[in-house]
Order: sequence, then structure tokens, then C-alpha cells
Amino acid sequence: MASVSVEAVRKRYGALEVIHGIDIAIPDGEFVVLVGPSGCGKSTLLRMIAGLEEISGGTVRIGQRVVNQVPSKDRDIAMVFQNYALYPHMTVRENMGFSLRLRKAETEVIAERVQRAAQILSLTELLDRHPKQLSGGQRQRVAMGRAIVRNPQVFLFDEPLSNLDAKLRVQMRTEIKALHQQLKTTSIYVTHDQIEAMTMADRIVVMHDGIVEQIGTPLELYDTPANLFVAGFIGSPAINLIRGILRRDGGRCWVATEAGVDLPLNGDAAGQDGQAVVYGFRPEHLTPVENSGLLSRIEVVEPTGANTFVYAELSGAQICGVFSERRSFAAGETLHLMPQLDRVHLFDAASGRRLAA
Amino acid sequence: MAPGRLSQEATWGLIFLVPYIVLFLGLVIYPVSYGLILGANPKSYVRLWTDPVFLRTIVNTVVFLGVAVNIKLFLALLLSGFFVHERRWIRWLSVVFILPWAIPSIPTILSFRWMLNAEWGMLNSLIFRLTLEDGPNWLLDRWSGLGMICVVHIWKYLPFWTLILLAGRLAIPKDLYESADVDGASGLQKFRYVTFPSLRNLYITCTLLSTIMSLGDFNSIYLLTGGGPADSTQTLATLGIRYAFGMSEIEVGVSTVVVALPVMLPLLVLMLRRMKKGEQP
Ligand SMILES: Nc1ncnc2c1ncn2[C@@H]1O[C@H](COP(=O)(O)OP(=O)(O)OP(=O)(O)O)[C@@H](O)[C@H]1O
Ligand SMILES: [Mg+2]
Repeated sequence: MASVSVEAVRKRYGALEVIHGIDIAIPDGEFVVLVGPSGCGKSTLLRMIAGLEEISGGTVRIGQRVVNQVPSKDRDIAMVFQNYALYPHMTVRENMGFSLRLRKAETEVIAERVQRAAQILSLTELLDRHPKQLSGGQRQRVAMGRAIVRNPQVFLFDEPLSNLDAKLRVQMRTEIKALHQQLKTTSIYVTHDQIEAMTMADRIVVMHDGIVEQIGTPLELYDTPANLFVAGFIGSPAINLIRGILRRDGGRCWVATEAGVDLPLNGDAAGQDGQAVVYGFRPEHLTPVENSGLLSRIEVVEPTGANTFVYAELSGAQICGVFSERRSFAAGETLHLMPQLDRVHLFDAASGRRLAA
Repeated sequence: MAPGRLSQEATWGLIFLVPYIVLFLGLVIYPVSYGLILGANPKSYVRLWTDPVFLRTIVNTVVFLGVAVNIKLFLALLLSGFFVHERRWIRWLSVVFILPWAIPSIPTILSFRWMLNAEWGMLNSLIFRLTLEDGPNWLLDRWSGLGMICVVHIWKYLPFWTLILLAGRLAIPKDLYESADVDGASGLQKFRYVTFPSLRNLYITCTLLSTIMSLGDFNSIYLLTGGGPADSTQTLATLGIRYAFGMSEIEVGVSTVVVALPVMLPLLVLMLRRMKKGEQP
């Protein structure tokens, strides 16, 4: 096992720069998830760490060793690919033992390690099949097995679950997490699915257009998003964002929207009077009140059983609320809603940055 | 609709089929059966088996197919590994490389013939200038003649097979190679464990197909040596012409082709079976 450090790493394809200097320090044993919208450079970064893509600038270290010029096979990493990349002409057993065989490990050692990995992943019955005789989930497990027999310093995953159906995805998510808790191998996991990121990661790296927007634990990102991008990206349904002007009057503080609604703030909120801001609150931090709340008109109601999603119009913007208590909402009804003031996020409208309290 | 009468749709269907049936009868069934009738005279076969030229031709054909087809496909396999790289200059080079296959045979093979002329050909002039010795009689000896026939054949058809195998290589998912990289495979090991298993079926099919097609290669032999000297470099493809037009024995000429059928038909059937079965590792 080893730490991984990415220092000021850049990637250029000809004149086009797609990664603009990224710093991430990953301590030994951590499970880090790189998340971001399509095309933000997650795969590229992962592939640079894997040695499949040349590093245009900066340094990648695995353990203490700078690996910029080290070929993939000598980096002591294992990678799970999106399409699994199982060798079609080899059996599951041969697939899993292939890297050890290339490293000239003894036959008994290979057999024993493959056996153990197969046990961990419940693949024992499938060892003599060919990849095309397996289901998607089984292939995925073989790909995992191939990675763990090597007992590498670092696991790299590039969207390994994106080809599975929703149910299997949730199941494999848990299995991978459990596997990590058992093996404690440093892991870097790429996904564009923020739920996957939230549920699996020790720490999340949110990427966007080739830069890092924020690094933190799932709850840090959820509770204190560093900017509008992270706020909007993390959380489902997405955070509600309303533009307005910050107003202060004595000890009182609020955000005035264009439509003339005053959004309430705690007295100690950051920012200056007259500053253009974005007012954010998560759907789950909204409470219906009897009166004196923000007047909103319900447009759509979606009960899911556990929760009820309510989409409503507030000050010209569409907002979403999630309520867990059983209460009947009806489209067209007007509702008084109140955000929990200590969970309101305030961002500078110009820079998008969080205004720290 | 009255029973016994065709629906309008079926009538039109038949009308549209007529041209194809006529073409098939006229261009396939008629010539083939006419050929079989011409080749049905047992005397022709006695004549063939007692003609030393025919026996030599069989040997020539087997040697030509065995050497030319295998070398050609092996080279094509290697070259496709070069052209699979994505560089602009390689792309341009591949266009140049296709040329021998794309341009007509007659002028190119004739120019080979002139280049190889023992007295005034370009090759021997060059050898003479460099070494002051006379070069070999390239086309005036059975084995060097056949050798040159193989060279010309390979030169002409290598691009085609390279292209086919290149397509096969391009169909191999890239991440298999990346996975092999991470697993620690060298270039040779990647070929052995990833490329070759994926191409094996295609390679075998190509070998069969190329054997069938090369058996009919008339140009490389006729235009280069004309089957000579003294009929020593004939193959089955050119021998028919010798009997039919050189010696006015049309029936014997057709029989030379019929002789190849017992070998050809199983090859064809094997090939069609493989193609139907598809890729099955
Ligand atoms: N070979 C290449 N040449 C030029 N640009 C490339 C190349 N490969 C990737 N890019 C660009 O680099 C950027 C990052 O690509 P990358 O594959 O890392 O995205 P990603 O974050 O993994 O997206 P996704 O979630 O869709 O997989 C994209 O804008 C892409 O167009
Ligand atoms: Mg990607």
C-alpha cells in the first residue's frame, strides 16, 4: 500500500490543455473518489496516474517514488476498466492469474491467490468459464478479482459500475466498499455519479473543466460547498439557488430578490450590504410553517413513500422541497415555507465562491 | 381471390425476379455446365496424367500456393501491426502502400518483367554496374522464375490482405492493450495474448480465401513468365490457356480446371462454414 500524490499535474493534447494543474494528496489506505461532469478530465487524470497517458506537466508520486517516467507495469497499480477489459480468450482463472503469470510467479502461488480472490468475490464456481459466458455483474467481479490478486499498491477504477443496471450498481457499490475495508488498499475511483461518490468515498475530489473545485469528505462537501458548482453538483435533488442582493439593517440580515421577496438570514451572515449574492438551501432543509414563511405556490407533488418531493414556485424561481412527514400537498396550493437558517448557504454572485460566516 | 391465382404482390415478386433468374442461368449455370460438358471427356484426363508438363504444373501450383499465400499473409499480419499506429505520416504511407493493389496488373507486371530481363533489365544492369558481374537469369529458370512469380504476387496482393487484417486489429478493444500494459505485458506478450487470439479466426479464414483466390491468379504468372521457359512455371490457372489456345485442345484445357475442383470445393465449403459460424474463440 502507498500514498499517492498529484502535484500541479497538467495534460495537454497538442495545443489544447484539458487538465490545468491539479493537486491532490492521498494518504495511504484512503478511498478517494474523483467526481465531476462528463469531459471534466477525471479519466485523463486517472490514466496519467496509471501510466496510460503521458503527463504533460507536474509530478505524480506513488509512495515516495516519482513515477512520471515509470511505465505502467512498474507502477505496481491495478486498474478496473469501464468495459472490464477481460481477455476474451482466457478463462476467468487465466484472466485473474495473468499478471502474476507475466511476473513469473510460481504456479502454486498463482493458483492459491486466484482461489482466495475468487472466494472473496464468490467467483469460485465461475473460474473455468470464459468472459462471454458471464453476466455483466459477474464480469465486473472478475475485473475486480483480476485487480486484487496482484495485491498492488493502488487500485484505480474508471467508472466500473456504469454498465450495470441500477440495482446491481447499488449492490456492487457496497461490495467494493466492503472490499476496501477488508484490504485497505489505497483506491482512486472515478465516477460521474455523485451518489456513488457520496456513498463510497473517504474523500471526494470534485472536478470541473480540468480543475479541482473542492476536496473534502462527503459531509464537508454537503455541508459547506466551497462554491456554486460544488453546491449544485453534490446533493440530490439539487440545492435550490436564488439570486438577490444582500441587505443589512442593524442586526438584521436578509437577501432581497428581484421579485421583491425577502429571504431570511441569520444575523451573523457574511457579506456586505448591497452585494449581489446567491442564496442556497437544500430541499431537505425546508420546513412548512403556519404563516410568516416564504409564500410559494405548489406546482408538482411527487410522493415516493418515504419522502414527498414538492416542486413549487418561489420569487420567480422553481424550488424543490423534500418532506418526510405525511402531510397532504396539492398542486396549486400556496404554502408557507421556511429554510433552516443555520443551513442556508450564501455565495458571491460574481465569483461563485462561498461567503464564509 | 380465386384459388390457384397469384396475388398481385406475388406476381410482381416474380416479375422482379425474372432478370436475376435470367442472369443466373445465362452467366452461371450455362457456362459452368458447358464447361463441365467440355471437361467430361475421360480421354482428356488420360492425356493430362501422361503429360509431364501437367505433373510439373501440379507441383508448381502447390509450391506457389504454399509459399506465396503464407508469406503474404504473414507479412500482412506484421504490416497491419505497423499501420495500426495512429500517426499522420503512417496514414499517408498507407495510401502509397495500397497502390500496387489499386493499379491495373498488366502495366505493372510487365514492367516487372522488363526490370527482371537478364540482358537489359534494370536489376541486372544495376548488378553489373556495381559488381561488374552478370546477374542471374531471373525468369529463365524454373525455381527462380517461380520465386519471382511469388514476389510479384505478394507485391500485388499484400496491400489487400494487410488492409483486411488491419481492420481486424482495429476491432480489438483498446482497453485490452491498456489492461495488458498494467498487467505487465511486453510488446511481444501483448501480441501473443491479446492480438493473436483475437485475429486467429480471421487469419485462418483469410488463408483459406487467399488460397482459393490465388489459385485463380492468372496475371502474375502469365504476364511475368508466360508459364515458360519450356512450360516449367505453369500453374493450373495458366495451363488451361496453353492447352486451349496454344495447342487447340479446348477440352483438355477445361479439364485442367476441373482437376482443381476436388481440392477447391472442400476449401470453399470449409470457408463458408467458418464464415457462418462467425467469431467463436
Ligand atoms: N486523445 C485526446 N485528444 C484530445 N482531447 C482529448 C483526448 N482525450 C480526451 N480529450 C479531452 O479531454 C477532456 C477530458 O476527457 P476525459 O475522458 O478525462 O473526461 P471524463 O471526465 O472522464 O469524462 P466522462 O465522464 O465522459 O468519462 C475532454 O474534454 C476530452 O474531449
Ligand atoms: Mg471518463
